[in-house]
Parts: sequence; structure tokens; C-alpha cells
Amino acid sequence: MRMNFKIAAMTMTLATLATHASASVTAVTGDGSLRRRLLELGLVPGVPVKLLRRAPLGDPLVIQVRGYDLSLRRAEAERVEVQP
Amino acid sequence: MIRVALAGNPNAGKTTIFNALTGLRQKIANYPGITVEKKIGRAVAGTQEFEILDLPGTYSLVPASPDEAVSASVLKGERSDTPAPDVIVAVVDASTLARGLFLVSQLMELGRPLVVALNMTDIADRRGRSVDPVALADRLGVPVVPLVGNRKEGVGLLLGTLASAKTAPKPSWSPTADGDPVLAEVAGRYAWVDVVTAACVRVSTPRVTISERIDHLLLHPAFGFLTFALIMAGLFVTLFTLASPLMDACQNGVTALGAWLTSGMADGDLKSLINDGIFAGVGGVVVFVPQIALLFLFLSLLEDSGYLARAAFLMDRVLHRVGLHGKSFIPLLSSFACAIPGIISTRTIEAPRERIATILVAPLMSCSARLPVYALAIAAFFGHWAPWQQGMLMLGLYVLGIVAAFAIAWVAMKIRGRAGTSPLLLELPAYKVPQASLVLNQVWHGTSAFLTRAGSIILALSIVIWAMTTYPKPHEDDLARAEARFHQAWKAPDGVTGDDLEAQRSKAQERYVAQAALEHSVAGRLGHAIEPVIAPLGFDWKIGVGLVGAFAAREVFVSTLGIVYAVGGDEEDTADLQAAIRADRRADGTPVWTTATAASLLVWFVLAMQCISTTAVVRRETGSWGWALGQLVGFNVLAWVAAFLTWNLLR
Repeated sequence: MRMNFKIAAMTMTLATLATHASASVTAVTGDGSLRRRLLELGLVPGVPVKLLRRAPLGDPLVIQVRGYDLSLRRAEAERVEVQP
Repeated sequence: MIRVALAGNPNAGKTTIFNALTGLRQKIANYPGITVEKKIGRAVAGTQEFEILDLPGTYSLVPASPDEAVSASVLKGERSDTPAPDVIVAVVDASTLARGLFLVSQLMELGRPLVVALNMTDIADRRGRSVDPVALADRLGVPVVPLVGNRKEGVGLLLGTLASAKTAPKPSWSPTADGDPVLAEVAGRYAWVDVVTAACVRVSTPRVTISERIDHLLLHPAFGFLTFALIMAGLFVTLFTLASPLMDACQNGVTALGAWLTSGMADGDLKSLINDGIFAGVGGVVVFVPQIALLFLFLSLLEDSGYLARAAFLMDRVLHRVGLHGKSFIPLLSSFACAIPGIISTRTIEAPRERIATILVAPLMSCSARLPVYALAIAAFFGHWAPWQQGMLMLGLYVLGIVAAFAIAWVAMKIRGRAGTSPLLLELPAYKVPQASLVLNQVWHGTSAFLTRAGSIILALSIVIWAMTTYPKPHEDDLARAEARFHQAWKAPDGVTGDDLEAQRSKAQERYVAQAALEHSVAGRLGHAIEPVIAPLGFDWKIGVGLVGAFAAREVFVSTLGIVYAVGGDEEDTADLQAAIRADRRADGTPVWTTATAASLLVWFVLAMQCISTTAVVRRETGSWGWALGQLVGFNVLAWVAAFLTWNLLR
């Protein structure tokens, strides 16, 4: 648990962002086609994002990026690191 | 003739522009070997002819799904079945300009003429991000045609531009210094996009968009599911209540037409073939048309309005758990009316594995053809239950199908592992009022797909089943035995005299002859032949004949059983049939039908794969016989085991 807490404290991702909070993308982690696609959808470092809402069951999420609404699961959102 | 390819992001409005350009001069086929739709149309401007290809929506030329792979390979000129386009039209949604220009940066590098069709400028204006098309064309070095696709504005201008388009210049982006090659490339392209948008977007104060307000309610943590449930329940109730009078009218109309056409003919095999084979088959197809057309109407309204993506968003958590996808929900819901439109509509699921899983389990949703069978068995054997208990039993049958579907999807996911499942990256487009021409077009294509793919098979099977229930003809002594049975069983009803009595008498006599003929026919013998297989489920040969008939369409079970029991094949009024099956006895005097038999039959009908038309559509939509036959055999084995357990536990 402490371990997890430390990691959470060090890196903030789209998945840990509070609802309605805005942030700026710092990195997209992982590899392969999913990372490429997240970048291609506009989530490149420096771009502002906003967490619009979570689904009633907590997953997936809706973010606003580059003027449009994108829905993604927590598993994907965890790959997008952000800073306030 | 100039070959034009329409490329663009999903939801950018490509299909609207395609329809505006081509009118009704279009045809839909498949790319060979895969189930991606190939939409081609023609357009003319002056003396110049255009062949217009509507490519599947794509975010990038580095594909992430089979649909995107088709778009990328066509645009690069890598497909042997589709020649490379002479001109590319990049359809760009002005309200999501940056993401559209990312794709444009890739398209400009293909070394072909390129024209940008700037769509949805009105939405961009409202969001306070107006796009200046002149500045955009200046920055890109390619023609930019602004159009509001659904008003046909600018379509003529677009065609005029196409004929004179020149090879696009290479976009002047360079990879950023940081990180790996992928990041450097994508970030480099977006840096270029940012420069372009800075030059051509006029920022003003955005109005709170209608979409935001609607989503605030429809995706609300508490009200979201409530409104979702209300919308779906509303559609579902409308589907059944609105369709059923139309369905009755269709069937009665076809039957009457057959009777009218053959009214001058002498009784005989030909007349019987026309009425009971061909016209019954046509009726069996046409009867579904109102419901299927309504279903496609609702589907395209949901999709075109933007709610389909929201429904997928709301349902994804539940469906993803069992290896399905948020977008599986609507196809599964459609399958409660009929699995065939449900399976056809899985085309909206880009994720290949989740799409197959949805197709696999869709037939477990209790379709409307099962309802007459459920109604008969419940009325005959659970009629003494209170109405609410009967209702709960009916609901239980639906739930059983859903539970089985989720269980099978979950097991399939466990066997194949999580690896290979697709991520959910779903754009929630702005809500808009569905466009009538687009919606009607989809209704037409969906309904005609049903008629050609399923209708032909239902009709063919109807003729085969007619032949199986007609030949070989009964011998003289069979008929004599039928007469004897009739005389022994039939009693004149009280208070009926004269012509009425004679009419009833001859009707009853006909039913006994029909029963003898059916028992003597191939279907009757098949019923006997499969008795060893179905006896462990509590079924006798008569139910076997009904099951044979059900292969034409499940509801035929009821009318076939009606003939077997010599009470007539009326599907609407089954009171006589209910009495007959309750009274039926085996040779040793025990009842053929018990509560256990009825329960076993119900479980069989929930789970079994009896619909050959569905199998044909599955084969077509998955592109392989493996899935179709695996599903056919697998579900019937599952249904057999479940019915076997039901009968043995309850008897």
C-alpha cells in the first residue's frame, strides 16, 4: 500500500485527475500501437486536457482535449501522465 | 473519369458529403475477404464524371483497426482490388480541426492531389473557434472548400475544385528533438498543426454548447443510467407495439394474395406449393420487415444523433468485464427483436475480437420468433400461475439467455486471454439532429441487407420444409386410418346444427387427414428418427416434427405442432392446441407433456441455435464458416445439455 501511495504521489495520470480538473500532458508511457494512437489523438506533451466526467460506474472517463470529447478506460488513462 | 477517395476522421461527416455528392447513384459492396464495407458512387459536373469512394473513418495512416487498414492501404495505392485514387478529399471537421489536420499532414505526403472539405463550420463557430478557410488554404497550399455537409452547400464548388486539383505540397513539419521516433514524429506533426491553426482560427468566447448541457443530464452519475434505461425501454416498447399491427397486416396481405392468385386453381400439389411453400415463406420474410425497418430506423437515429457513442460509454464497464465492448450493447439489444439486424449492426464495433464475441452471443438474446413458443408453453402448463408469476417466468427466460450470453463471452475471453482485446478510445461527437436523408438511406440499406441475406434463406427453407411435410404422400390405408381416428374421436358439439355442424365436421375431418399426411411425410419420419436423441429431453416424436419445422423459423414450431395434434395451424389462437397437448398420453397412459417437458422445451428454445438464416449471416459477417458452424453446433449441444438437466431435475 505504501508503495502504491508513493507512486501515486510521484506521478499523476489522467486516471488520478479529479473530475473537472485541468492539467497538461507530460508523457504517454508504455509502448506499441496504443501509445502511438493516444499520441495521434492529440495527447502529446504540453497539450492541456480536462477530465470532464466519469461513467456512473467509475470507468470509462471522458476527457476534453484539443476541442473534442474523448472517452477512454482507466487502463488507457493511466498511461497518460499529467501535471497540474 | 476521375477517381476520388473521401478520407477523414470518424464523425467528420464523410457519409453526408458522400450522399450529397452522389445522390442515390451509389452501391455498397465488401472488400474481398474482409467485412469492411466498400461504398462507391458516381457524380457528374458538366462533362466530367467522378467515381467517388467513401473510405472508412480513420485517425491516422498508421492503422489501429481493420477498417483503418483498408483506408490506409487504398490511399497508399497498395490494394489490388481498388486502384489508387486520382484525387483525395480530406473531410475535416472544423470543430475538431487539430485532429483532422494531423491526418491531413499524412495525406499531403502521399504525392497526390488533395482537396480539404471543411465540414461543420457552424459547430466550430458556436464553440468560439471559427476557421478562416482562405487562411487555411494559404497555410496548407491545397484548396479548402467550406461546406455545411447537410445543406448541400458547396458540393458543386467541391466537384469543380476536384477536376483542377494539383499534387499537394509536402507539409513543412520536422520531428521534435525529444524522446523516441514515434513521439518525435507525432509531436512534430502536432507542432506544425498548432502553427497552422494559430494562423486560421479566430478565437471568440464560446457559448455553452447544447452538447455539454445534454451530456450533463444524459451522462450524469445518477440520472445517466435512468435516462439510458428510459430511452432503451422506450425504443423497445415502441418497436414491439408499433411493429405488431404492421406485421399482422403484412402477413395477412401476403396470405390473401396467395389465396387470391390460386383461387382459380384446382386443389393439388402446385396450389399447395404456392400457398403453403412459397407464399408462406414470403409471408414469413415480409412479416419481419416492419420490425427490422423500425430497428434500423432507431439504430441510425441513435448513431446519427450522437447518442450511440454515449450508450457505449455508459455500458462499457459491464460489457468489458465479460470480454465484450461498450458498443456491443446496441447490437445485443437489437437481437431481442431479431439476431440478424443485431449481427449486421456489429459493424460499428471496430475492435475485431469484441465484434466476433458479440456476433457469437447475439443469438442467445430471445428474439421475437421465440415469443409464440414461450407463450404457448407458458399458457398450457403454467396457466394456473398468477399473471405476475407467468410474467416473471417469461422475464426469466429472457434473463437466462442474457446470463448464458455473458457466461459464454466471459469463458471465451478467459480462454483467449486479455491480450489482444482492444482499448476503448471513443470520440463523443457533438449531438446533432439526425438528418432525414442519411437515416432513410441507412434504413433502406439495412432492410435490403436483411431481405437479401436472410430473406432468400427463409424463403428457400420454407419451400424445403413444405416439401418435407408434404412428401411422400400418405397411402390409401393411412387415410383410412385417419378417417377411423376421426370418427372415433370427433363428437358433435352441443347446440350446433345444420350447415354449421357440417362445416365443423368437415374441418375436423380435414385436420385428421392433414395429421396423417404429416406423420407419413419426411418431416414426420424425421421426427420419429430423431426421437432417440430428443427423448432424454422429455420430447416425443411430435415435438420432434415441430423442431424440424422450427428450422424454417422458430415460430413455425407452433403451427407445425398444431397440425401434428390435428387442431389446425393457427399461431394466434392456441387454446385448442393447449388443450390437445395437455391431454396427450403415451402408450402407457402417462402424459406426454408435463411441467418438466414444458420447462425443458423452454430452456431448449432459449439456448438452441435453430435459425439457419442467422448462421448464414454469421458466416458472411465473420468471413468464415468456422465461427458460424461452431456456433451452430456449440449452442445446440449446450441447449441439449441444459434441457436434459432441466427435464431430469424436474420430472
